[in-house]
Amino acid sequence: MSDTMTTTMTETIATEGVTDALNAAAVERVSLGEPEWLRERRAEAWAVYERTPMPTTKLEEWRYTDLRTKLDLDGLRLSESETAPDDPAAWPARLRETMEADHEASGHIVCIDSHVVHTDIDASLAEQGVILDSLHDALESHPELVQEHLGAVVPAEDGKFEALNAALWNDGIFLYVPANVKLDLPIRVTRWLSEPGTAYFSRVLIVADRHSQVSYVDEVVSDDFADPSFKSSAVEVVARDGAVVQYVTLQRVGRGTFVQSAQRTLAERDARIDTLNVGLGASVHRVDLNARLLGPGANSEMLGLYFGDGSQHFDFNTSQDHIEPNTGSDLLYKGALDGKSRAVFRGVIRVHPGAQRTDAYQTNRNLLLSPGARADSLPNLEIEADDVKCSHGATVGELDSEAKFYLMSRGLSRTQAERLVVLGFLGEVLSRLPLGGVVEKVVGVIEEKLSQHG
Amino acid sequence: MPQNETIQDLNLDEYKYDFVTTAEPVFRAQKGLSEEVVRQISAHKEEPQWMLDFRLKALKVYESKPMPTWGGDLTDLQNVLDEIYFYVRPQDRMERSWDDVPEEIKDTFEKLGIPEAERKILAGVGAQYESEMVYHSLREEWEKQGVIFDSIEDGLKNHPELFREHFSTIIPIGANKFHAMNSAVWSGGQFVYIRKGDTLDTPLQAYFRVNQERMGQFERTLIIVDEGAQAHYIEGCTAPVYSTESFHSGVIEIVVKKNARFRYTTIQNWSNNMYNLVTQRAIVEEGGHMEWLDGNLGSKLTMKYPSCYLVGEHAHGEILSIAYSGDGQHQDTGGKVIHAAPYTTSSIVSKSISKGHGRSTYRGLLKVHEGAHHARSNVECDALLINDTSRTDTYPYIEIEENDANVGHEASVSKIGEEQLFYLTSRGIAEDEAMAMIVRGFIEPIAKELPLEYAVELNRLIELEMEGSVG
Repeated sequence: MSDTMTTTMTETIATEGVTDALNAAAVERVSLGEPEWLRERRAEAWAVYERTPMPTTKLEEWRYTDLRTKLDLDGLRLSESETAPDDPAAWPARLRETMEADHEASGHIVCIDSHVVHTDIDASLAEQGVILDSLHDALESHPELVQEHLGAVVPAEDGKFEALNAALWNDGIFLYVPANVKLDLPIRVTRWLSEPGTAYFSRVLIVADRHSQVSYVDEVVSDDFADPSFKSSAVEVVARDGAVVQYVTLQRVGRGTFVQSAQRTLAERDARIDTLNVGLGASVHRVDLNARLLGPGANSEMLGLYFGDGSQHFDFNTSQDHIEPNTGSDLLYKGALDGKSRAVFRGVIRVHPGAQRTDAYQTNRNLLLSPGARADSLPNLEIEADDVKCSHGATVGELDSEAKFYLMSRGLSRTQAERLVVLGFLGEVLSRLPLGGVVEKVVGVIEEKLSQHG
Repeated sequence: MPQNETIQDLNLDEYKYDFVTTAEPVFRAQKGLSEEVVRQISAHKEEPQWMLDFRLKALKVYESKPMPTWGGDLTDLQNVLDEIYFYVRPQDRMERSWDDVPEEIKDTFEKLGIPEAERKILAGVGAQYESEMVYHSLREEWEKQGVIFDSIEDGLKNHPELFREHFSTIIPIGANKFHAMNSAVWSGGQFVYIRKGDTLDTPLQAYFRVNQERMGQFERTLIIVDEGAQAHYIEGCTAPVYSTESFHSGVIEIVVKKNARFRYTTIQNWSNNMYNLVTQRAIVEEGGHMEWLDGNLGSKLTMKYPSCYLVGEHAHGEILSIAYSGDGQHQDTGGKVIHAAPYTTSSIVSKSISKGHGRSTYRGLLKVHEGAHHARSNVECDALLINDTSRTDTYPYIEIEENDANVGHEASVSKIGEEQLFYLTSRGIAEDEAMAMIVRGFIEPIAKELPLEYAVELNRLIELEMEGSVG
């Protein structure tokens, strides 16, 4: 802060003098030293951000999430830490514990606030040309690859938050798997957020070349923050012909943070991209996920799991775009809601003209565990080809009292019976993408949440 | 225009109800919508001051609301509205005997088969021509018992208190733009009151006919089904095909009191250049049972979502809807159920068929308010696509604020299976007939709920529409 400000009122602090507010100057600052094309891209993105109005509940996509009461971007500052420790011994205990609970991996990335502090990749994979790096480093080591895809999958023009992220991202992950290379073990990314009152902007770019195979697990953890924080991410996934990608994200941040994630997957001919979004933490968690099936034979399984309590608010906005014939997609989002928590699911299957022999499914199921919980579900279909198999289903209901009664009649306590029923309900999602480490962690958090259920 | 033969010789390209009769109206308001037109309508009907005030207030609400940007394509609608007549009075008084109805108008309804239908099965029948009811009759036995089946205007005159107690209380003026428009210019429609405990075992029926070119029809219907009463009401709608577009915006308000049962059936077969924007809502009290049976076959664009507000414990709401969209048609239909009391149950079943460049949209709302514990609801939507140019959409809204509730929604989209077709054709059935059979099977759950003559009509219509659809 400049010394001219010491005597002025707090209002001035919020508007002008602060060097780390989210403004055009911040865009300038984050792009220092970057290649010209990227600097221009950021400036354009900022212009899009400025001319795009903040979404309101009048927009279908934001009908049930009122940003006026949930997010105050003007009150946030950009993450200010200059550096973060790259020595694991200096990392926060919870970050280390989170990593220790993981199973084996082909490679790791650790992010603390805005910094990638650690990267490792199996040596034989590196030899075969697999790239796992921070976006900043990849910009220097593989400029063409990055420039070709970065911002091409989730462009700034997509919306207010996409533009803000494209203008201000300050950390990022780049994963490239060359043709025919198959990774047996997942890439694991662990993120730690430490600064309350801060806005974090990160990007992920995954390119799986023809007939390659990779799993990627991204976990974010933090403590509860008294000052509202904002974590924004843009996730771009490209699977070339015949490639197989699993993208998993595990959101376990503390209360006080608004987590927003814009994700798009592009599956080319015969490619398969499976995604799993797990929402357990945060005050507000919003995901926009668009799966585009661009080549014949492309497939996508889209899984989601959430457990809300307190006043948590989840909002999943998904779309399945079938653009070419013979493509498939299958979406299953399931959640349990306790306390006064609330979940919104809005999904659309779009079968574009000519996308014959599409198989597309969409299911959203909600379990309301307490009188104050609420679920809104809007599963939509827009079908413009006739030779298709499409269906969707949504349910909202209470705990299956018969199942509970059955278990209790076998000697289980009410709490035990409820736990089993809820885990059984949510377990269906995990059983469809049973990645080692992920299942145990999710079940652990759910058990913890259930133990607080009254 | 003697076109009787078209009634016998139906074929795909001919719309059965495309005939015009030459009855001259006794009064026609100026084109377009204005305060003056609203005042004229009210003056013609010799209404009490409160109704005029109500109309003028509604006009303001209408003007203040923007054109909806969701649903069907309404971009040309304002041009249509500027050119239509909001009020056309066909004759000076309403007849109770069929013989007294003017010859030309009678001719129209004879062609539609109404007097015959009345003789056969109906408890009562009303016929609306342009903006007013021209004919009304109720079986003597019901009349004696005190069932009221009147034109809406007579309802206001003869039963002012009952009328005012319920009119526009079920749907407030501000509900939507076209409901406000109807509230300003409503004319014609029914006022029905079924007394406590009465059971009408044959349906009441109304026919709506638009005959003039550039005509807007704005009927208003208010139905009160008192405690424990039971009745069934059927409406049918037709219009000739003109080169210019017409507009229909009806409002139907229904109160189903404690333990009463009511079914409202609509078979809408407007000509394919009609905008049909209708608001239908029923309030269902404790133990009441409301069913909407909604068939949308005609019109250029229909936007209609019959609703049930379940406000008493154990109230039940049901919406069965069938839509057919051919070339140039968009049926944007569905239903709304609001669970506002404990132990309420509801079910929505929607079936649509899209052919050629037709588009069918299901749009629905299912809401369970906090406190409506033990609410149960199920929604099922099935869409059938006949050609690769056809389109279907499903937009359900499910809003649940109560944890002790169970609701489900399911939708599927399919094409007529090649295997089904192959099976039937291998049994020597022609492909056209096989298609029609499959479609009939698809709509059967709804067709079987219709009175026989409507079910026959629906099946015949589907058969005709399926002709030449193979390939």
